[in-house]
Amino acid sequence: MSSEQQKRFGNVLTAPVCAEIDKWVANYPPEQKQSAVMSALRIMQEENGGWLTNELMDAVAYYLDMPRIAVYEVATFYSMYEHQPVGQNKICICNSISCMLNGSGKLLDYLQENLGVSLGEVTKDGKFSIKEVECLGACVGAPAAMIGKQYYEHLTPEILDKILQDLD
Amino acid sequence: MSGLTHFIKSMTLWELLKGMRLTGRYLFVRKITIQYPEEKTPISNRFRGLHALRRYQNGEERCIACKLCEAVCPALAITIDSEEREDGTRRTTRYDIDLFKCIFCGFCEEACPVDSIVETQIYEYHFENRGEQIMTKEKLLAIGDKYEEQIAAARTADARYR
Amino acid sequence: MSDNSTFEIEINGVTLEAHPDEMVIQVADRNGINIPRFCYHEKLSIAANCRMCLVEVEKAPKPLPACATPVMEGMKVYTDSPLARGAQKGTMEFLLINHPLDCPICDQGGECELQDVAMGYGGDVSSYTEGKRVVMDKNLGPLIATEMTRCIHCTRCVRFGQEIAGLREMGAVGRGEHTLIGTYIEQAISSEMSGNIIDVCPVGALTAKPSRYSARAWELNQSNSVAAHDCVGSNINIHTFRDQVNRVVPLDNEHINECWLSDRDRFSYEGLMHQDRLGEPAVLDHGEWTRQDWQIALARTAEILQTAVAEHGEDQVGILVSPNATLEEMYLLFRIADHLGISNIDHRLRQTDFSDQDNAPVSPSLGVAIAELDEQNAVLMIGSNICKEQPIIAHRLRKASLNGASIMSLNMRDYDTHFEQDEKLLGCPSGVINHLAAVTRAVLELNNQQAPSDLSDILAHNEPGDEHKRIATKLMDAEQGSVILGVQAISHPHYSVLEVLATQLAETAGVTLGYLTDGANTAGACQAGILPHRKTAGEDRADPGMDAGQMLSGTLKAYVLFNLEPEYDCWNAEQTIKVLTAAEHVVCLTPYVTDTMRGYADVLLPVTPYTETSGTFVNIEGNWQSFQGAVSAHAESRPGWKVLRVLGNLLDLSACDYMSSEQVREELASHVIDVAAGKPPVDRVPVKLFDQPDAGLQRLTGISIYGVDNITRRADSLQKTPVAQDQMIRINSKLAGKMQLRDMDRVFVKQANNRIRMELVIDDGVPDQCVWIPGGTEHTAQLGDLFGDIELEAD
Repeated sequence: MSSEQQKRFGNVLTAPVCAEIDKWVANYPPEQKQSAVMSALRIMQEENGGWLTNELMDAVAYYLDMPRIAVYEVATFYSMYEHQPVGQNKICICNSISCMLNGSGKLLDYLQENLGVSLGEVTKDGKFSIKEVECLGACVGAPAAMIGKQYYEHLTPEILDKILQDLD
Repeated sequence: MSGLTHFIKSMTLWELLKGMRLTGRYLFVRKITIQYPEEKTPISNRFRGLHALRRYQNGEERCIACKLCEAVCPALAITIDSEEREDGTRRTTRYDIDLFKCIFCGFCEEACPVDSIVETQIYEYHFENRGEQIMTKEKLLAIGDKYEEQIAAARTADARYR
Repeated sequence: MSDNSTFEIEINGVTLEAHPDEMVIQVADRNGINIPRFCYHEKLSIAANCRMCLVEVEKAPKPLPACATPVMEGMKVYTDSPLARGAQKGTMEFLLINHPLDCPICDQGGECELQDVAMGYGGDVSSYTEGKRVVMDKNLGPLIATEMTRCIHCTRCVRFGQEIAGLREMGAVGRGEHTLIGTYIEQAISSEMSGNIIDVCPVGALTAKPSRYSARAWELNQSNSVAAHDCVGSNINIHTFRDQVNRVVPLDNEHINECWLSDRDRFSYEGLMHQDRLGEPAVLDHGEWTRQDWQIALARTAEILQTAVAEHGEDQVGILVSPNATLEEMYLLFRIADHLGISNIDHRLRQTDFSDQDNAPVSPSLGVAIAELDEQNAVLMIGSNICKEQPIIAHRLRKASLNGASIMSLNMRDYDTHFEQDEKLLGCPSGVINHLAAVTRAVLELNNQQAPSDLSDILAHNEPGDEHKRIATKLMDAEQGSVILGVQAISHPHYSVLEVLATQLAETAGVTLGYLTDGANTAGACQAGILPHRKTAGEDRADPGMDAGQMLSGTLKAYVLFNLEPEYDCWNAEQTIKVLTAAEHVVCLTPYVTDTMRGYADVLLPVTPYTETSGTFVNIEGNWQSFQGAVSAHAESRPGWKVLRVLGNLLDLSACDYMSSEQVREELASHVIDVAAGKPPVDRVPVKLFDQPDAGLQRLTGISIYGVDNITRRADSLQKTPVAQDQMIRINSKLAGKMQLRDMDRVFVKQANNRIRMELVIDDGVPDQCVWIPGGTEHTAQLGDLFGDIELEAD
């Protein structure tokens, strides 16, 4: 069976990916290597340009010896895992209460209009996608957004516009 | 004394006159006799006559084969078979009411969650052959289709009391 | 309970006894105090996610979930106080927010936990006016219907898969309001116990597909019965609707099946009213089948038997009985055979090696009670695809495995199990013998014992390797251990050798030897005397008759077949049909008739399957379990014991005036007193060496999980499951490489005089030079021996 699995996942479980996952696996007791599932999914997602396919999740399940459904559960629970293609820059706008009161709705409207895509879609040039997320923990700087791995605070449509241009 | 009274009353045909007085009074009262079948009495919106199965306006039958009418029927007059229709909905394949068993109590109508089985205002029907008393699903639906207007009107009129 | 000490707690002002580590709900349940619940299930882990069982606990600031609150000494709990009631009503209202309120169209309506609890705790009006959540239905295969909008996320089905079935296929995907219970990727649930999620589901989200929308809970009548497809004897409730079996659900029996049931036992009822059901007796008259009255058909049967015995002698009549027949039917068949002097009578249809039959136990037994399997420390299974053959036993072994037991296997194919196997030995038919010999030798060596003289050759030939020594040590060290011979061991071409070695192994290692047999009533057949060498209760026959193998290798003049389809149920399908066709007379007592059967039979007598007759099955722990018929006999068919009783009368069998099946059973019971005592051992069969690898390819057969008997083979929904659809042969990559075959290639399988075309799968769990073929299926019913030489040819 294992050779069959190897054949199936060989092209995604490449040596560097495996090495990276192994680093995380080493942090946990050997019988609990499934604890590394979140990191493994993140590594897979980064390798695949920011989103996960079923095959990638299956590969993680195989590599960490978990039931496949357990990986699906984790991957669908957390909002940082994507199941659809995303743009090079994933713009996550916080929609929780502080940001909402400070105008995150306006930001969303502005982005959708300006980029010509709605939530969850990717711009034609593949550069941007917009996503609404729950609290980013940056209430002090509301409204906040996360673009890639970078936080941006006290946003207005104008500031956002400038940021996007800089990213271009 | 009572003997004398009795004597006088019988000699003057007093009782007869008393009767004639009642008759005479009705001679001038408005007549209530109707010429059935040309004429019919008005009936209540709640009249419990022949059964019908109704449809929704889009033509879909209302009955969902929940079998509550079958369960509630005190005379065990209703027999239902159900199965999954091709579109995945729950439907009857057989809905029989035996009118010889039915006591027209109206419980089936009360139990129906979708107002499908109803008792109409129809009370003129007869059977000529054995077996005709079984109202099948087709017959019941046909009655429903034919009298839908009347059924709906009766239910609307009675809605505020239900 | 690990701790036997008790203390007192108070629930609703009543003082009750509680054990430490118990939860409040367990104490309440034991004492009949009702606490509403959805996610809590006695057999599953505690999730405490439905919050329905909130109760007030004194000194606790908030209501606590009774299912996850451990008892403490002196604790005071109120299940019905205003606080508890308020919390329960609040929870109920939340649960009903997204649950559709259309109970009339829901298949669970009338037997729904949510409906029941809503009657007690629900409000009249919901304060929720927004739109409700709608969830797409999942396709979970042909057995389970889903309506996921009704799901309340209790996760019982998820926990069942993880904890009981050992195969996590369902999960809770997404979070918050978007949580969905399902498989994420569309797939049929593959567990052989999957039907149980229908029972654990408290709402109408998971319901039985075959009986969907066909009847309401309140219309069903219920009869207790016993499952008829494996030797476990699971207790079942047959639900009938207008005198037809509508569905089958488990009946709780902690000693056997707990509250679970295998899919085979649950859904096989669909085969009962198959179009093949035989309605009237029929007699072949000058080449034409004519319907006949029972009287005429039975008279003809009696005539056939009497003439055959009179003209050709007793040894020219053979009686073959399905191991699924009831004990009463078997005993009457034995009596009739005995009366006519016939000793060619057998039920061991898928066996070929009978040479050591005199040493066989009077009644095959598991050696321990089924419930005791949980407590075994080491179990060695020989020739058993346990998860498919006896799912309930597999569940018990899984429990043992989770308790730390070592489960080991010696098989002819590496079968998947849902529990850890500590050791796996794999071999071709002769390889299995050598492995077993090596384990036996290792045990003898550990014990410093000499090999018995008759085994010295084979033991000397097999040097134990590390894996054999490990198995030996585990069996020796086990406080309670078992060696179990499974169905495929019993149909092994050299079963007697396996049995000799296994007996020796068990004896030396001080563990019990158990059997897991084919059919529901093999133990009953042995006790009733359906054996050529033994009478009722194991009494030896002075003049042993032919066993099933001999009866079917050369043609006798007349055969009686009881409740079987020989092309599926016998060792060599092709040969059997040939022999039966050549026989002068064949009488079939059968619930089903096929064209093949019409081809060789002379008289067809419709007898009823187990749902339409009263009877008894003896399960593998020796438990006599009687049941009553759940529905009336179909058309003109009659319960087997009644047919045989009248046949007995026609044959002038004395004292054959039974008025009920109970009388038959009582009479047999008076003969069968102590079968466990066993018999004095006789000389074992000589054991030859298996030092030459088998020349050529060897066929290996595993009877398909849904091909075991005539009812199951006709159960439509079971036949649509992926596991039943898997009709492919399996070879390992070495052989495939040699023959230049690839996965899913079509090949011709040649055995005896037949050649069939099948697809192949490359599976390295099959030993070298072996071809694994599913048995009991329509396709393979044309082939010959279940084990033996076979040829493959690329298409």
